[in-house]
Amino acid sequence: MSAEIENSPVPQQEAATLPFLTTSLDAVINWGRSNSLWPFPFATACCAIEFMSLMSARYDFARFGTEFMRFTPRQSDLLMIMGTVTYKQAPILRRIYEQMSAPRWVIAVGACASSGGFYDSYCTVPGIDHIIPVDVFIAGCPPRPEAYIEAAVQLQEKIKDESFLTERLARLRDRGEDLPS
Amino acid sequence: MKTLGTDYTKALVPATAADISCAQQSTFDWLASRFPLDQDPLAKLSTSAIVRREDLHEVVQALRDTPEFAYDMLIDIIGIDYLNYPGHQGPRFAVTYLFKSMRFAAHRFQLKVLVDEEDLVVPSLHDLFHIANWAEREVWDLFGIRFEGHPNMKRLLNHFEFVGHPLRKDYPAQKRQWLSTNDPLLDQLEARLRENGMELIDPIPLNTPAVEDVIKGSRR
Ligand code: SF4
Repeated sequence: MSAEIENSPVPQQEAATLPFLTTSLDAVINWGRSNSLWPFPFATACCAIEFMSLMSARYDFARFGTEFMRFTPRQSDLLMIMGTVTYKQAPILRRIYEQMSAPRWVIAVGACASSGGFYDSYCTVPGIDHIIPVDVFIAGCPPRPEAYIEAAVQLQEKIKDESFLTERLARLRDRGEDLPS
Repeated sequence: MKTLGTDYTKALVPATAADISCAQQSTFDWLASRFPLDQDPLAKLSTSAIVRREDLHEVVQALRDTPEFAYDMLIDIIGIDYLNYPGHQGPRFAVTYLFKSMRFAAHRFQLKVLVDEEDLVVPSLHDLFHIANWAEREVWDLFGIRFEGHPNMKRLLNHFEFVGHPLRKDYPAQKRQWLSTNDPLLDQLEARLRENGMELIDPIPLNTPAVEDVIKGSRR
């Protein structure tokens, strides 16, 4: 937000003493969203073991604002898919994604979730992007906890690029409301 | 050499390969004196018997209940598809039963039933061994061999919308099938809860969907 302060019409010296600051709505919303991601762990296989070490004290994922695991999709906005997803599991995953309310993001963790991994067979989904949209893929089998952290940081960058107002406008247009362009 | 009926539970002596093959030979000879049997030419490492389908139930019961054999553990039931198998003649499918004795460590035995493609039915063993219930469902799921008299001949691993039997050699291994809904798999659990006197206040509808549901897509 410092950039906004610098560009503000109020001289900087003066702005520093004022009891308020000006910024854009998007900047505030994205700042809040990106630093308070609530993950929902969709853990089906071995990648989830690495996730346990990620959440515990040594790697401490909570440093990045992903403080709480939420075991209901309705209270979370980050879906982390860790492990192999079979075709039998696919409708369940799809339904969990649909139960999450917007805004929602998805991280596909590991080779299996990203591409099916080495399970090239009749029962494994070759990448969960066939079922739901994915924001960040993590390579590895399993990825190291550092890779999870990098994915979270990348996702935060991505969230900071989003525009709440533009999305809202698009939603209203989709609904057929007549808006000035 | 220790022979048939050596009780290993007392001495804690592990069975050697020689003990095992000796016990297999004795079991085979004993069975052959009572039932029409063939020796399995494809079993290279052990003596295994091919029994007629109609004798299967009786043979297994004899193996289980004769005290000097005591084959009281059914390890697994395995389906085999011999399509394009080098040197194989005869029916395309086979079902193999693996037995072990919990009393005599050297007692391991293998039975095989040949199943013709035209008539994919084998008698069920669920009344002799509880484990046969799921093992037979698995063979049905993966090979399409039906078990006559089985109380619940449903797929075990694959989804109920899945079409085909994936471990058959002519099933395309890379063929993908999209499924529209989840498979709750709770029918047995709920039945058991009821058996134990529980009352289910909100039972999940059983996964025998109407055809229209499957065609329409997800039942949400
Ligand atoms: S990518 Fe590797 S570690 Fe992760 S679920 Fe698949 S097999 Fe397991």
